[in-house]
Amino acid sequence: MTEFRVGRGHDGPARLGEYIMGTEVFETPLLAGPIFSHTKVLQYGTLGRDLSNSRPTIAALPFGMKPEEIDKAGLGDIDSVLLPSLISFSSLDDQASVLTLRHQLDTVDEIKETVDPSRLIVRIPENIDNDVFKSCINDFHSKGVRAAAFMFDGYLGSTDLDSIILRSNLPASWLALALGKIAPSTVPLLYYTGFDVIDTGYAYEAAATGVRLWRNDSEHIETGKQQRFCSCMHCESIAEAKHSEIVEILQNHNLDVYVSILSESVLAMKSGRLRWLVESMTHVSPNQASIQRQVDKQIYSFIEEFTPTTGADNVPLIGPESYNSPVVKRYRDFLAARYTPPEGKQIVLLLPCSAKKPYSDSKSHRRFLETIESALGRASGRVAQVILTSPLGIVPRELERIFPAASYDIPVTGDWDAEETSLGAEALITYLNKLDPSCTVVAHVSGGYLGIVKAAESRVSQSIIYTTPEASATSWESRQALQETLVDLKRVLQLKDTPPKHLEEIVRATADFQFGTGAGNILVPKNAKLGGKPYRQIVCRIDKEQICSFIADTGLLSLTLSGAKLIAPLNRYWVRLDAPIVKGGSIFAVGIKEADSSIRPGDEVIVLNNQDEVIAVGRSEMSGREMCELKRGRAVSVRHKVEV
Amino acid sequence: MTDTLEQIQSAVKIASFKSRGRSVEKRRAKNPNKPSAAWTTPSRIGTESGTALSIVLSTIGCAHARSDEGGCTMCSYLLDGSSRNPKSDELFNQFQDAMSKLEKESAPLTVKIYTSGSFLDTEEIPSDARNRILKEIADDDRIRKVVLESRPEYVQDSILADVRAILDDRIIEIGMGLESSSDVVRSLCINKNFDLKAFREAVEIGKKHNVGTRAYVLLKPPFLTERDALLDAQQTVRDAIDAGVSTISLNPVNVQSSTLVEKLWKKQRYRPPWLWSVVEVLRYAHDAAKDSANVVCDPAAAGKKRGTHNCGKCDSDFITAIRQFSLTSDVQVFDNLACDCKSLWKHTLSHEDLSLLVHR
Repeated sequence: MTEFRVGRGHDGPARLGEYIMGTEVFETPLLAGPIFSHTKVLQYGTLGRDLSNSRPTIAALPFGMKPEEIDKAGLGDIDSVLLPSLISFSSLDDQASVLTLRHQLDTVDEIKETVDPSRLIVRIPENIDNDVFKSCINDFHSKGVRAAAFMFDGYLGSTDLDSIILRSNLPASWLALALGKIAPSTVPLLYYTGFDVIDTGYAYEAAATGVRLWRNDSEHIETGKQQRFCSCMHCESIAEAKHSEIVEILQNHNLDVYVSILSESVLAMKSGRLRWLVESMTHVSPNQASIQRQVDKQIYSFIEEFTPTTGADNVPLIGPESYNSPVVKRYRDFLAARYTPPEGKQIVLLLPCSAKKPYSDSKSHRRFLETIESALGRASGRVAQVILTSPLGIVPRELERIFPAASYDIPVTGDWDAEETSLGAEALITYLNKLDPSCTVVAHVSGGYLGIVKAAESRVSQSIIYTTPEASATSWESRQALQETLVDLKRVLQLKDTPPKHLEEIVRATADFQFGTGAGNILVPKNAKLGGKPYRQIVCRIDKEQICSFIADTGLLSLTLSGAKLIAPLNRYWVRLDAPIVKGGSIFAVGIKEADSSIRPGDEVIVLNNQDEVIAVGRSEMSGREMCELKRGRAVSVRHKVEV
Repeated sequence: MTDTLEQIQSAVKIASFKSRGRSVEKRRAKNPNKPSAAWTTPSRIGTESGTALSIVLSTIGCAHARSDEGGCTMCSYLLDGSSRNPKSDELFNQFQDAMSKLEKESAPLTVKIYTSGSFLDTEEIPSDARNRILKEIADDDRIRKVVLESRPEYVQDSILADVRAILDDRIIEIGMGLESSSDVVRSLCINKNFDLKAFREAVEIGKKHNVGTRAYVLLKPPFLTERDALLDAQQTVRDAIDAGVSTISLNPVNVQSSTLVEKLWKKQRYRPPWLWSVVEVLRYAHDAAKDSANVVCDPAAAGKKRGTHNCGKCDSDFITAIRQFSLTSDVQVFDNLACDCKSLWKHTLSHEDLSLLVHR
């Protein structure tokens, strides 16, 4: 029996796992290659044609090999088997693709006495649409097959993109292999998009043609020509080597480059920085940039589905490839769809972002806050503060501690490109349209920020006052101008004293953002009592019963069982068990009957029993889809549960 | 064959048919009194050296390729033919026109007659024209050997009896495109619809009339990896020799216009075989044939993108060696072939097999 077990941890569809072949356990992600030279590489070859040895291998069945020939050809007891297909046949048309899959299905039946279906790997053809693909995969799934190999030609064009897109339709429990020509610089992207086994064959092809691969580049080695410095032990004698020796040196060097970039990708995944690594590879080549943009565009929902709710303490967002990264776009989408501004606001103050996060901790924002306080005093509760920034668009003051608003980092030059301006303007328009048209907008911004406001101005109902269009918002003069504007407005609008209700506003906004519109009013009703500090913890109680608490470090709410019961009727973020109560501190995927498909790793989730009663709350360790599809693995870490 | 394999075969047939497009109907009516081509080459008969005349008669071409069956996936030789089938007189005139090239040559001579189809197919070459041509050959004392070309279904007892009677004691060889001895490869990859049994029967009929057979062995039809193709060609050589053929002629696929192979090649889904593979098969064939059969290879478009090729640097050395081998049967001509591209070819053999990605 061969088995693939998905382990803990996520950054996008990238995952850790174990590929268990008999008694041998291979940790994924894993490299595969023709030669057993490295413990980190799983060997492969064609049955009866390439050297076989006692190590477990991935053995390709040649087309036309008869079932009775398989044993004779030397297939090992635990070897995995690539099902046979005709090279290039599926390029004819979509009908041909289906035929190649059907032929493989026939083969599964023909050889199942000799080779258990759990050891088989389907070869995914080209020219197949997503729905047909899904239904074919279902057929294989029902026969017990759990692995699929996708083909890459290395051009990073439509073939490679199609393979990535098809992979996104694979059940979560399946092992995904990437075979073909794969350059080291593509490894982070393939890992990110959910491939568990990656072919290193190109290391040998490059070596055969005298090419030394680098992390994001390659170099042709010619005897007598100047070469790049390489510190690896294989390359020590390359300058004096003969052609035959060079091929071997380069094989070893090239393979190490794959090992190195994969380990870099795995560690980046573990620290929540895989997306950053993938984005950093954009500039390797125009094709690399375009395939990545296409991936973001075409399978955004797949990537987002596996992207955790929280992430690294520092999220670098450097170029246009970050504008629609899942955490960024999800933030903008949630803000537009779920966020409701606090009531009673008469002034909307637009402010520039600061490098230090959360903004309130920065020098500039401390001064803005002082200015507001001194101008409005006890009426400052009438002001909604909104920070303009790229590529998040806008961040209301109440949400400044939420991920990724509290941890993103961008290069600051003050110049914003057209896309950034448009993202910002859209966010601002959506926000202002949620407010009373009689509000007055005070735009205390200049430069690129001013561009956003100008771009939005014609599409909002409120009137806008510019306090500092010419100079930096942080200068003393600008702050003076802000102060005077606010003092004037207080008089003109006859602002009544309304002390700021920071704690309520933060918890309500966070609840809406986290659990969807309506959660804020349920968890923080008028009679709720709040205590604590925004920079540490805010506890919310109703009638002395603790409902939830806001944790400043994550910018998110933790629910108590009472809080969970209150928002359970919203029918969001629920996990339904097939049991009456929760035993132990973890809930495993195997025990889950159903789960809300909008759950992401790291979400606060409400656990229901088979009677639909709330029996626990906790933090999800995987996405809702995985909870349903996987048979193993920790799905929820329980925080509170009903004790019997 | 399973249902699925039959459906695959039918898909190949349709694709092969589609690839021809309008190429067959767009053929022009050629001068019916001139052959499509005729050329002479040095050749060998036994131990003597002489000259061979190859004649491609201009006919309506292969019935299989003209039909709804789509013809073979790699072949568009019929495009050299004519849209109108020549009359018997005209066919004879074509032959005589070609024969003029032999005016100054002396014995021993070989005459090879090709038609882009089957010389023994009476719909293509009426029997009166065939017999006139053969009589003309019989009357020329210089000609020692005659090679004709036909699909196996036309190699019939009565026809061979006629041929033998006319040509008397000349060495006769019938070339047949066996292509592959694997029925699966021949039907799925080549779309050549006859089976190995038909070929064996034709060889037996030949033996009965002391007519030798020349098996055309195809190297690398579409839908096979380089190594699939190499192994299939070797197996075919083995089977052809076991069937009792007198000559093995290895034909590495070249990319001909308006074929399925060309369509795949243009999409980067096909690469003609490496010259390394050609040499590998020839070495194997030489070994397998011992002295029972002759092994020859005259690769079309060799060294070019559309033909069998290596890296470009070593191609001409390989082609020279292959020509030399075909003339001398001396396998040692291959011993000195070496090039850096050998490691890439070796990588291709194993990695293409595993990944099913066409390595170009």
